[in-house]
Amino acid sequence: MAETSEEVAVLVQRVVKDITNAFRRNPHIDEIGLIPCPEARYNRSPIVLVENKLGVESWCVKFLLPYVHNKLLLYRTRKQWLNKDELIDVTCTLLLLNPDFTTAWNVRKELILSGTLSPIKDLHLGKLALTKFPKSPETWIHRRWVLQQLSQETSLPSSVAKGNLGTVPAERTQRILQEEMEVCGEAAGRYPSNYNAWSHRIWVLQNVAKLDLKILLDELSSTKHWASMHVSDHSGFHYRQFLLKSLISQTAMDTSALQQNSLKDEPKDEEAAASTEEPRIDLTQLLEEEVEFCTDLIDSYPGHETLWCHRRHIFYLQHHLSGRCPLNLTHLSPADCSGGTLNDLHLIPASPQLSQAMEVDGLNDSSKQGYSQETKRLKRTPAPDSLGLEMEHRFIDQVLSTCRNVEQARYANAYRKWLVTLSQ
Amino acid sequence: MCARVYSNFRPPLSIKCNPRPEPEVDPQVRRKKPARPRQQPAAAVLKDGGRAPVSGSGVQPAARRRGAMKLYSLSVLYKGDPKAVLLKAAYDVSSFSFFQRSSVQEFMTFTSQLIVERSTKGSRASVKEQEYLCHVYVRSDSLAGVVIADSEYPSRVAFTLLEKVLDEFSKQVDRIDWPVGSPDTIQYTALDGHLSRYQNPREADPMSKVQAELDETKIILHNTMESLLERGEKLDDLVSKSEVLGTQSKAFYKTRQALDRRVTSELQLLQMKRCPEDVEPGRLAVFILMFSRGTEG
Repeated sequence: MAETSEEVAVLVQRVVKDITNAFRRNPHIDEIGLIPCPEARYNRSPIVLVENKLGVESWCVKFLLPYVHNKLLLYRTRKQWLNKDELIDVTCTLLLLNPDFTTAWNVRKELILSGTLSPIKDLHLGKLALTKFPKSPETWIHRRWVLQQLSQETSLPSSVAKGNLGTVPAERTQRILQEEMEVCGEAAGRYPSNYNAWSHRIWVLQNVAKLDLKILLDELSSTKHWASMHVSDHSGFHYRQFLLKSLISQTAMDTSALQQNSLKDEPKDEEAAASTEEPRIDLTQLLEEEVEFCTDLIDSYPGHETLWCHRRHIFYLQHHLSGRCPLNLTHLSPADCSGGTLNDLHLIPASPQLSQAMEVDGLNDSSKQGYSQETKRLKRTPAPDSLGLEMEHRFIDQVLSTCRNVEQARYANAYRKWLVTLSQ
Repeated sequence: MCARVYSNFRPPLSIKCNPRPEPEVDPQVRRKKPARPRQQPAAAVLKDGGRAPVSGSGVQPAARRRGAMKLYSLSVLYKGDPKAVLLKAAYDVSSFSFFQRSSVQEFMTFTSQLIVERSTKGSRASVKEQEYLCHVYVRSDSLAGVVIADSEYPSRVAFTLLEKVLDEFSKQVDRIDWPVGSPDTIQYTALDGHLSRYQNPREADPMSKVQAELDETKIILHNTMESLLERGEKLDDLVSKSEVLGTQSKAFYKTRQALDRRVTSELQLLQMKRCPEDVEPGRLAVFILMFSRGTEG
């Protein structure tokens, strides 16, 4: 049956209205989905609302999407005017069907800037889109933009010194933080090794939570169980590495800031420093616990490369900590780049590219050269390092003698070779 | 306004190309955005939005990958001749998208029955189907168990679970009831508890760290469902003939097969056409196709 463009227009308008009404009827919608349904039945709306889940029957998509897409573009090219409400409805529908459409997000940005649209609505829309498209890069990008807007609105004087650990984030910030962690966690669960979700999580910690120590510690403990149930999720373990690195660099910075303060003005600031000083975070213990955690997982689940890669990172961090050498903050500090924190892993030999086996023989020379400075520094460090190395070698021996999994043996041997290059 | 708005529409409809859209980003707005990587090309969008389904073997409807250690279903069956009889089953489909759950559950029942029918008595096997692993244990007395798990889930624990469950079941349910039983008539209630407890393999089976007595070499590994089928048998036929799958599940399966073929042919068509608007209309078509494939749950 041939469909005239008029019929399509009528259908689309009805569907868009149905979607808007669904949101109005139920503000607690928390998931969207596609219902496989090749034919329209009984003259019923394709929008289904069940238990806080919004479903779209698949037959209507091929009419809906091109039409709405076209409508928005006509608006953009100034060939057709849409008022604010129409714009909001059209972009909402579009983004629920295809959240990677940048123009729609841009239109919403303009609406937010002009004050017609609340940023919170966009966060909600993004959250819904992520239930169906957990990796959608445009959604994450737009989310960061919205968060920046929100922080500008509620910005406290940001002249607070870095060493002042006493500031408690405002309640609103706390709520936003909580929400973001939840969204990232859910998206990470819906798609394995969801780099976009974990990167966003890191960005939020850097820019919204400002790497607050307490929050870092909370995150470390709350992601532990998740990591143990997703042992091949490299992004999840990379997040833990980021947390530990940040803890190290933040405590180092705070200590040096406090030292600087106490050097300048003496009695007054020493008191102040003493009162704002938080209980010392035992970094050594944290790292040891992480190693134990990693060991436990390696024993329980043989043959997962991610766990061995994680072990290398932790060992590397332990080296830096025990070496008492001034931390090269530009190398380890994750606060450099706004999103791509995986960049700083290039320093660690045997890059975490899981497509290749982590054979140290395959290393190219440039990374070896880059590392030689570090190894020279390590050579000057006292005995604890060789003890650490010894323990690791013993662990490898134990694994090799008891495991029957071929891949486990391969990873253990690769790890041994890596350790050998460390001590050269 | 026409009252029968929705029912006027019947598939299929050829996808029309749209007029040229303007460049994606308004320059004014661009300045306000934070720095970000370049817009990904259309090919990447396709790759990002959904996985190309493995043609022909798409038994499980969910195209989403899961990296968690999860158990999805646990069922006890009787390997009759020629059909396998489902005696009891437990499911955990909470991690699937809401609207897919009933279809997923049906497909799991279908798969479990099919695997038991195609396995010999006194054997253990693991069948890989997309990102799932179906572990099956058929005892020599024709009692069988199937657990469908994520590919991360340690298979040793899965087989321990199967052995335990079948042992318990055979003690609680009389042998006479097996060939003619059904989930409604069989009195065995422990399956749900087992399924939920074994979601955490280390807690449920702490001894799995110690090397199990189970000799792993005796487990047959199939890389696809197809390898279980006999020569000439097609999965499509089995799906359409199945009594276990509802019409919506079958339609979904068929749509996916049809869309797979359509996607390939449409993309080929787009590549052949020389559109004056460069790649933009192609991009839109890709969006539509990508979404219509029902990807990402």
